[in-house]
Formats: sequence, C-alpha cells, structure tokens
Amino acid sequence: MELSDNTSKGKVIASGIIPFAFVIIMMAYIFGPGADLLDLGIPLPEITIEKVDFLESEIQATVRNTGPMSVEVVMADVNDRIHPAAIEPDGHLERYETALVRIPFEWNEAEPYIIGITVDDGTRFEKEVEAAAPALQPTLDLAIFFAIIGTYVGIIPVMIGLLWLPFIKKISKSKYHFFLALTAGLLLFLAIDSIEEAIEVSDESLAGSFNGMLLVATAVVLSFLGLYYSGEKLVQRASSSKLAKPVAIALMISIGIGLHNFGEGLAIGAAVGMGSIAFSTFLIVGFALHNTTEGIAIAAPMSKGKLMIGKLAAMGMIAGAPAIFGAWVGGFVYSPFTSVIFLSIGAGAIFQVIIVLMKWLREEGDRNLSSASVASGFAVGMLVMYLTSILV
Amino acid sequence: MAMSLAIKSRSGFMMIFIVVAVTISSIFIIFPEGISAQKEEKAFVTHTGGVVNTSGEVLDPVYQVSEVEFDPEKYLREFNYGRVSQLESGQTVREFTIIADDDQVQEISPGVFYNVWTFNGTVPGPTIRATEGDLLRINFINNGDKPHTMHFHGEHPAEMDGVFEIVGANGGQFTYEFEAGPVGVHPYHCHVMPLEEHIAHGLYGVFIVDPKEGRPPADEMVMVLNGFDTDFDTENNFYAANSIPFYYQHHPIQIKKDELVRVYVVNMVEFDPINNLHLHGNLYQYYPTGTDIVPSEFTDMITLSQTERGIMEFKYQYPGKYLFHAHKVEFSEKGWVGIFLVQDDEQKNVEEVDYGT
Repeated sequence: MELSDNTSKGKVIASGIIPFAFVIIMMAYIFGPGADLLDLGIPLPEITIEKVDFLESEIQATVRNTGPMSVEVVMADVNDRIHPAAIEPDGHLERYETALVRIPFEWNEAEPYIIGITVDDGTRFEKEVEAAAPALQPTLDLAIFFAIIGTYVGIIPVMIGLLWLPFIKKISKSKYHFFLALTAGLLLFLAIDSIEEAIEVSDESLAGSFNGMLLVATAVVLSFLGLYYSGEKLVQRASSSKLAKPVAIALMISIGIGLHNFGEGLAIGAAVGMGSIAFSTFLIVGFALHNTTEGIAIAAPMSKGKLMIGKLAAMGMIAGAPAIFGAWVGGFVYSPFTSVIFLSIGAGAIFQVIIVLMKWLREEGDRNLSSASVASGFAVGMLVMYLTSILV
Repeated sequence: MAMSLAIKSRSGFMMIFIVVAVTISSIFIIFPEGISAQKEEKAFVTHTGGVVNTSGEVLDPVYQVSEVEFDPEKYLREFNYGRVSQLESGQTVREFTIIADDDQVQEISPGVFYNVWTFNGTVPGPTIRATEGDLLRINFINNGDKPHTMHFHGEHPAEMDGVFEIVGANGGQFTYEFEAGPVGVHPYHCHVMPLEEHIAHGLYGVFIVDPKEGRPPADEMVMVLNGFDTDFDTENNFYAANSIPFYYQHHPIQIKKDELVRVYVVNMVEFDPINNLHLHGNLYQYYPTGTDIVPSEFTDMITLSQTERGIMEFKYQYPGKYLFHAHKVEFSEKGWVGIFLVQDDEQKNVEEVDYGT
C-alpha cells in the first residue's frame, strides 16, 4: 500500500515536470546555438522619449530603448534642427535601458517644442511638448504649495462630505440604502475614471512594448485581489463586533479613495509641472467639488455605528491626504510608468470596495439588490460624478 | 476588549500599508528613471558658444572631428580627366571606368550609418571633367544588386542617354560614348525607376565641360548640395555641401585673399523643391549652368531647383572666416553650412583661427 502510494506520488511529480521539460527542450531548440529556424524578419530599433524637462538654458529628454535590440543614440534635435547635446550615462542603450539626453537650448516659455532623437541607423524619434514650462525644482515653497493644493483637493472636500453623517444617521432604512448604493455608484465612476486616465497616460507616454492596456488590467486585478484578500481578513476579525464592521468597511473605502486621490494628486502635480497652470486651476476646483462626494462614501457605512469623530477624521485623512503626496510625486518626479501603476492600483482598490459595499448592502437589504432605493442610488451616484467631472 | 484588539490590528494593517506605500513612492522619488548623480567629466560647446559639462557622452555632429569614410576635403578639389588618348582626327578621347554599387553602409554623419548607393564608392561619384568636343568613353560596370544606369545631362545621342538601356545587376556593363558638350557644369545620375530612390541613395555626380579656350585661372572646387533621408519618410534628415553634414564648418575651406575662387555648384537635393547658396561678406558672379561666359548676376544668394546648377566666382578682399550656407535655414541647421577661411599669407594657419573660440 505504502509502496503504491510512493509510486503514485512519483507519478504525479513526474507528470507535472514532463511538460516543463518539453518546454525547455523546445526553447533550447528555437534559441539554441545554430538554430536559425526563427531568424526571420529585420528587427527595427525603437526608443521612446518618456519625459521632457525644461531647465535653465537646457532641455532634458529621458529616453528608453523600447525596441527589440540595443541601440546607439547618436544625435539630438529641437524642432527638427540638429543641436550639440550630451547623453548620460552613455549613448548605448540595452533593451529597456534609459538615458538622459541634455540639449543646451535657449527655449522660450509657453512655446511648443518637438524633441527628436536619432539612433545609429538614422531613424528619428520625436516627442512633442505643447508648451514649454520650467521644470519644477523640489523647493520647500513648492512642496508647501502642493501640500496646500492637496489639502484643498483631498482633505477638505472629503471632510466636508463627512459632515453629511448626522443627516444619513437620521434617515430611514430605505433612504440609507439609497445612500449606500449612491456610494457604490460614486466609486464605480471613480474606478472607471482611474482606468481611463491610466490608459491615457500609457498611450501618451509609454512605449507599445509595455502593453499599456494589459499593464493596467494586470495592476487593477492584482490590486483588487490583494485588497480583497486582506479586506476579507479584516472584516472577519471585525465581525466579532457588530459595531466594528461598518468601521472596517469605511476604512476600506477610505483606503480605496485614498489611492484614487493619490492619482488625482498626480494629475494635478503633473499639470502644474507641464505648465498648464490654468488647466490645473480647473482641475483643482473640479476635483474639490468632485471629492466632496467621496466624504459621503465614507460617511454612509459609518452612520450605522456610534459616532466616532476621531476615527472619522482619521479616515478623512486616509482618503484625502494621499492627494498631497500625489501632487508631490506628480510635480517633482513625474514618471508615466509610476502614474499608470498607481492609477491602476487605485482602480483595483475601488472595485474591491464596491464588492464589499454590495455584499453588505445585500445583507442589510434582506438579500435584495434590486430595490428602488438601491437602483436609484447607484444611478444617482454615477450621474452626480459625471456632472461634477465635467468641471474637471 | 476583543474589539479594541481588532481595531489595534486594523490600525497595524493600516500602518503597514502606509509604510509600504511611502517606501515604494520614495524609491521613485529618489530614482525616478534609475539615474543617479554622477560627477561631470566631458565638455562640449553649444551653438551659442556656451560650454557644457557632462558625465556621459557628447552627441555632437558639429564640433567633433568626423572620421567618415568619404573625405569631403579631397572630393572638393578632385577633378578626373580620364585616361587620355588621341584619335587620328586629333580629337581627344577621355576614358573613364565607373562602377556602381548599392550595398555599402557608410557613416554619413558621426554615428549615423546609412546604405549609400555609389558610383566608384562615394557619394557624390567622381567629378568627370572634359573639354568641349572631347570624346568621352565611359565604361560603366554595375556591381550592384539592382539595375543602374548613368544618365548625363548635356548633348548626346538618344541611345547614350542612360534611360532605356538598363544595365543589369551583378556585373552588367555598358559603354557610354559621346562628345562632351555643351560647355558648363552638369549632373550625371542613375536613371532607373524608382528614380527618387536611386538618386536619394546617392547615385549622382558632377560632369564639367570646359570651354576650348579655357577659363581664367582660379582656385576651383566642386560642391554638390545634397541630403540624406535616413528614416525614409521622404524628408531629408541631413543636408550638406558634399554629403557630410557640418563638415566644412569644422574643417574650413582654405582660400587665399585676392585669389579668384570658382565653385561648380550642383543641387542634387531630393524631396525639397529648392535649395540655395548664400555667401557671407562677399558677392559672387553667377553663371547659370555655366553655359555662358558672361555672368547673369552679381549676388550673394542664388536659389536652385532640382539639378539646377551653375558656376560661382568670387574673390575675398579681407582675410578671416566667412560662412556659406543654405539660407533655407532648416537645411543649414541640418548640416548644409560651411566656412571659407580666407588667408592673408601663408604664415597663418588654421589653429590660430580655430572655430568656436
């Protein structure tokens, strides 16, 4: 009996390994020495100019080799006119390697520029900047400026939204369900918004080889799964007390919204960094109005328990403060890749919160998700977000 | 009690979450693109004369000394008169061998490698020079992978026109035989379709026919105004006089004060409808196509269309450095710019008037 057990175990292991062995053999056959079976086609170089910064008498372009082979960067131009330049650390770029091209150039503020980079086979790649603006230097003043903007956009509106708590507390059960569903609607809108933004950034600034769409999808799903798993654990622990469950849900909502607001902070910081000041003023006003609704999202589940002002304020901070952090990152060290990742994580987090909310709503509402209050709440949530988003 | 414990562990969870978020973000703050600060090592000069230091490599087609395979210095004053013999009638025969190729990759600007199609291995091909009435015999061999021909501008029989007599790839041969004429400066180029491709890749050169009585002695040179479309978007990435961008800017053409200079200029730029030549600190006598001995204009600016060409004659009264360039500034900023260094006497040399100082 024992013997047959061992052999069957061995069989299991062997049957698991054999396909792997074949994969390795196949790879060795295709890529191994002397194998020119798949040596067809001509690889074309590709580089991506991910970022352009305007410094004092100098334009800096961050380039990444996003092609299938290594390249030499040999020339730089501004508006298709050749200029002497430098490349640091050096002009040889392996796949995915980045370098900084420094082009001494007396640029004029608010004028559009096209930065071109030529590689060794004479292929030129370019990136257009709509309006040149001095790159933000991470000074204390600017950091404070961003912190204030972040406060306006993140913390204050969320706190204002939380003030609806007493109101929500006093209303009837079905109206309460309306508000919970409204929250879910708001959040769904935010998640879609984040994904859209992430895809936009990846389209604009990330090379095709990053598979922007799939990168977003992967980050969203991973973030969703990660938070779903840890969120379940959190709720399980919290379920020992009736009071704590709403708090746990509100906390998760806060985290999700916080990640989302980090993305909004990135957008604002990047807009200021790219010199579109007027644009970012709109962004700030729009986000502020928009984010007031996020306060409701946190307040709605919290209204079930005792009024815990301290906790509520803490959640407001968790949800709102990341906007400050996002503005710093977006303004000072903007990187399209980081932005895409953060926006996607935020979307995943929000999807997880929606699931939790819906579950709770289903339990609360006698296993019924199709009541008039839930349906209308969800719809109004989306609609309110859409209307306030027009302001952004 | 259990609740407060639960809350504590929840805040613990939060703390971990925040710490992780902060750590990840600060990594991106400190290493935005994986670039760390390094010490400055090399220096280069900007277009406006500023000096910039870099720890990396200099990307500079302007001030670096080119080590390109084609030597514009040599090409400038190199005239090929062929192997000379005489017919019984007393007519001079000039025999040339021209070999076409289309598989070379040359460094046409520092670091930029481009597949040039060549006559005798260079772009432009050799300058063929004869006197009016000489019999030209050009043994053309096509060593390329594509059919090629030689089509001369000028007067010749139809079958010597290099258009319908396609010379096959990999060793095809043809002998072009005709009397040199008329007097002037003419281009020759391949005339196989697609023509734009064959010309843009470099299959062209200059054909000079001197008048029997000759021209006044002068410091003579050839300038082919050309360009390269290295990324095949039907726009030139580089422009130059004699192929190499910025070459005569960092290797000024040395001429003597008060000596007559004669430049045979041929515009072979593709894609752009015009080209032009502007001379600094001076004006030139211009002979369109070089067919007349009376100049048509005294100017410092002549605009040339495709294969339009002429002879420019001038003398400098004052020593020093004088730019010459396309006044279509896009072309000059992509390489079609050079310097005449006018020397007072032979003691002065280039180092004393080094560019950029």
